Order: sequence, then C-alpha cells, then structure tokens
Amino acid sequence: MKKSIFIISALTIVSLSSCWWKAGGNDPGIEYAPDMYYSKGYEPMSQFSDSSKYRYNPYFMTMREPVEGTVAMGQLDYQYPYDNTPEGYEASAANSMNITLDEKDQLEGERLFAIYCSPCHGAQGGNDGAVSKKQAVLKPSWANYQDKYIQNLPIGKIYHVVTYGKNSMGSYAYALTPKERWSVATYVKRLSLMDSTGMVPPIQVINGIKGAAVVDTAAAAMPMNSTKSEPKKNK
Amino acid sequence: MVKHLTKRNLKVRAVAFTIVTLLNLSIFSFNGLAQEAKLSAQAAEGEKLFKANCTSCHEMQNKATGPALAGVHNRRSEEWLLKWIRNNEAFRASGDKDAIAIFNEYNKVVMNNFESLTEDQVKSIITYFKEWTPPVKKKVEGGEGAESKTSFYSETTLYILGFLIVILMVVLYILRRTKNSLKKSYEEMSGETEEAAAPNEKMENLKKRINPTIFKMAIGMVVILALASYGFYFGVTEVAVQQGYAPEQPIKYSHKLHAGELQIDCKYCHSTAEKSKQASVPSVNTCMNCHKAVQLRDKYDGEISPEIKKIYAAMDYDAENQKYGDNPKPIKWIRIHNLPDHAFFNHSMHTKGAGVTCQTCHGPIQEMEVVQQYSTLQMGWCINCHRERKIDVENNPYYEELHEKIKAEKNNKNSEYGKYFTKDGKINITPAQNGGLECSKCHY
Repeated sequence: MKKSIFIISALTIVSLSSCWWKAGGNDPGIEYAPDMYYSKGYEPMSQFSDSSKYRYNPYFMTMREPVEGTVAMGQLDYQYPYDNTPEGYEASAANSMNITLDEKDQLEGERLFAIYCSPCHGAQGGNDGAVSKKQAVLKPSWANYQDKYIQNLPIGKIYHVVTYGKNSMGSYAYALTPKERWSVATYVKRLSLMDSTGMVPPIQVINGIKGAAVVDTAAAAMPMNSTKSEPKKNK
Repeated sequence: MVKHLTKRNLKVRAVAFTIVTLLNLSIFSFNGLAQEAKLSAQAAEGEKLFKANCTSCHEMQNKATGPALAGVHNRRSEEWLLKWIRNNEAFRASGDKDAIAIFNEYNKVVMNNFESLTEDQVKSIITYFKEWTPPVKKKVEGGEGAESKTSFYSETTLYILGFLIVILMVVLYILRRTKNSLKKSYEEMSGETEEAAAPNEKMENLKKRINPTIFKMAIGMVVILALASYGFYFGVTEVAVQQGYAPEQPIKYSHKLHAGELQIDCKYCHSTAEKSKQASVPSVNTCMNCHKAVQLRDKYDGEISPEIKKIYAAMDYDAENQKYGDNPKPIKWIRIHNLPDHAFFNHSMHTKGAGVTCQTCHGPIQEMEVVQQYSTLQMGWCINCHRERKIDVENNPYYEELHEKIKAEKNNKNSEYGKYFTKDGKINITPAQNGGLECSKCHY
C-alpha cells in the first residue's frame, strides 16, 4: 500500500513539474550551466549589471555614444549643411543631389518608400495609408502627391524633410542613409508626376527637373515598366 | 413535455433579450445623433471644413504642430481670424504684432494660406469653434471591482480546485482504510476468513520457468531505459529552450495593432534588420515619429495614454510645451531571443541576402499582443531549414556568381555545379549544398 502511494505521488510530481520547466509568460524555463548564454563580452540589445562600469556605460547600456567629433567608418556622407529650422528648409531648395543613382537605386527607393512612407502617405502617395486613415493628425494637409504643391516642390526640400521631418512627420535619418534618402526623394518626385492611369514616369523625367542630378545614361535608357501601379486594396 | 416547455421558455427569453439589446442600441445611437444635432447647420459645415483642412496641424484641446483651437474665438477677434486663416503670410507682412508673436512662438512654422476658402466658409469654421464642446468624460463605474469581473476563471480558482481535489482524495483514502479495518475486525470477530482464490496454474508454471534474477534485471533495464529516454527527451526539448517565452515588457507595445492592423512594415522600426547582424530594437525617436502627434487622448478622457506617457518619460519629453529635457532614461526592454555566444547568426544575411521573411523564424508576429519566442532557436531547427529551403539563385543578385557557374555546366550532370539541375531543367540547390552545414560557418 505504502509503496503504491509513493509511486503515484512521485509520478504526479514528475508530470506536474514538467509544466514548470517549460518556458512561458515571464518564465524563461530552466537552464543548465548557462555560461555561454549570457555573454561576458557586451552584446547588443542587452544590459549588464556590473555597477562599477556605470560611469562609462550609463543606464547599464552595453552601447556607448560615439566620442564627440568622430565619424564612423564609411559614414562621412552624413554631413548636411542645412539646419533644422524654417530658414534651413527654405534654403535647402537650392540643394541638389551630389550622387548618381542607377536603376537599382531607383527600385530600392520604391521599396524603401513602401516601408517607411506608405504607412501614412499611401502606396501611391495618396495620403491614404492605414496609419493616416486612423489618425487624422498624421494626414498631411495637401491631398496627395499629385498635388501642385508637391509637383512644384524642389527635390532639395523633399530631401530636407526626409532628413529632419516637418510638422507632424518625424526624421527618417535614423533608418535611411543619404543615398537612400535621395532615392526616396526621387521616387516622391516621380510619383508626383504620375498620370491618371497610374503610370509613374521613368527616371529620365527627373533629369529635366531643376536640382536633380544627372542619372547614369545607361541606367536611364532602361525601361521602368515595373513601376506600373496596381491600386492597393485596403481591407 | 417538460423539455419542450423549457426549450420554448428559452426561446422566449432569447427573443426578449435581443429585443432589449436592440432597444438599448437604438437608444444609444439616438443619443449620439442628438449630440451631433446640437451643432447648427453652419457649424456642421465648419466641422467638415475643419476636418478636411486643419486637423493635420491643429487639435481642439492640445497643442499639435499649431496651437490648440478651443476658445480661439475668445482670444482673437473674428476679423483677426479671418485675415490669419485666409492669408497669414500677408497678414504677418502687414505688421500685426499678435500674428508675428504667434508665428515666433510656434518655431516659425509656416501655416498654409487658405485663400481657396471663401469668407463664409471661414466664418462657418469659426462658428464651429464657438459651438464646439469638449467630449463628455466617461465615468468608469465600480472602479477596480469592474476589472476583476472580466475574468471569471482566475488563477486562484484553479488553485482552490486543485486543493479541493487533494482534500477529497485524502478523505477517500481514509474512508477506504476505515472500511478495510472494519471489515478485518468484523472477520476476526466472526472468525470467518475468505479463502484465497485458487492460484492460476498457468501463471505458476510460467513463474517457475523464468529465472527470477534475470527477470528482475530485465525489468530494471526497461525502467532505466524509459527513464533515460525521458531524461534525454527532456534535456533536448526543455533545458534552456525558451520557446514560448513571452515576458511582460515595460511598455505594453502591441505588435498586433502596429504590424497587424496598421500594416506597418517590420523594418519601419527594426530598420537595421537588413543592414546589420542585429535586428535592432528601435530607439525611442522611432516611436516619436508618430507618437509625438498620436497621443490617444480621446480614449483616455483627455489624458495622454499611459503607455505613450512612458515613451515621453523615456525621452524626458514635455508634451504640453513640446520640449525635450536633459534627463532621458532608456526603456529597459526585456530580451526574448538569445543565442549562446558560440553560435553566430546574422540578420542581414538572412533577410537581405536570402530573402527570408521575418515571420519564417519569428512566427505570426502581426497577431501577437505580447511577443513570444516562436521557434526553438536550437541547432536542429537551423539545420532543418538549411536542408529544406531552396536558394532562389535565378532572381537573387547575391547568388549571381553561383548562378553563372551552374549555368555554365548545364550539360554536364556529373560536374561540381551541373548536378544541381533537376530533370526538368530547373536549378535545385539548398543552403546545405552551398556550404550551409559547415561547422565553422556558425561556430567560430
């Protein structure tokens, strides 16, 4: 009798505790000898607990701010002469693209537009993205990219807005390199010239626009049929 | 008959319930209509114009890009407002002190000129300002008590149930023992004993034939094997496997809302997923791209949403004056996915290089209210994908060189690269065949 009780209780404990071992909710589950799970060296996206290093890594962050006056390798093109002020915005109209974009960069501009701009500005610049539909504050005051306002906007100003943000819009310099910002700005310009059938003009058009850089002739000769629009259906 | 009656009764009740709910609904909607009807026709026209032209920069109660507009008709004369709205640039140029002061107060952000609006239209907007009333604050009835009602089966109920089961089992055991001992004493008293059942002869013969030592050893082996396999299974699938880990984060950020309902691309926030080893947790300024303006005050009785307040606290951002302070405090997000030091994984290689979607490894993130670890992140899981996934060499520029090599040997099926052609002339190559199983690719 006693034996059977012992066996039954042992079995219930084993079967119950198997649930406790599993990870779930706030519990990461059990670990055995987890020495290499928690790196001695600082890893990104984690915090350390040694308070003696707090002086150099504030808030127990494993990253540090770059030393003042230094530039990271390959990031020299971060420099931008215009200030984040209304005066800087007006002055940026004179800014022009100092790099050349080939066809690949143009396609990349479209892809990046879909990721970073379309939530508010819509897939085709109709200001009908899922976010701006829900939050009126994030809907621009002009109707869409085919508005005269955007059509007449110098490309330098578009670049300035992508870099610093304007009104309710934030800065996108955190995600886009200068080259990517230029390719997005060019795509915005091309979208503004979209005709009623939804055809986005090829990049050669940009050449005729003041302030836009000369695009590779070889690349410009390539047809850009892929940009033909397909009106996106929202749920 | 009784059954029939109760069924009918239920039906009647259901019908009555629906009628009552419908009535309630209609009353509520009627209330809504009645509230809107308070606005005069002119103000309603003004509201339309306001929503179409002004809401991207102005809110009624809070500062946005421009000032809050509630009560603006008391602060300025109608004439002043007319001039400002229709052409604020010319108005400022004319030297109006108030106009220049407000322009400077809001960081010289230029407001659009609305010359397209007629004077009557602008007047109707001003009428809307006059007739506008702040939304009625919703009162939460019952306070904290109301919340606990929502979940009937709480964890404590479960514990109580378990406790009851244990007690009942103990009672059962005691009763059984008493019964047995009573039976025994009765038997002793009456002197009757039941004779043991006749032994099964076949079983006896079998027992005689088996060597008891070997029998015990065999049983012992089976038990040990069972325990060992359970232990192995346990060690492989449970120890340090954090699949299902879903910690509560310092801010209740919902991927279901942002990535699911609002369809924001993963890379909008995790922007380094294509550029770096890490798919970074976004810095707070990414949140501020939208939440500088989106404060959800309508849902929290005019207050900023408590979760959005946490963003502002991390930024040391003063929402009323729209100023950033000097005392930011990073949000301590809790890390979910963790690889040991001896395993190397690079996000950009998989997202940009191989074109793997985020959901392949992280699961249906767009449906998760609280993010949980979807995959095991074990080596077997990595290897499995490397063996089964096909490399799209034809369309992926990253594999251009490999594609050329394979194409060059198309006719030689036994060559190093030609063997990847299937019978129907397609290229079939997995990461494993392209060196995706070499130890030093991930362990170094």
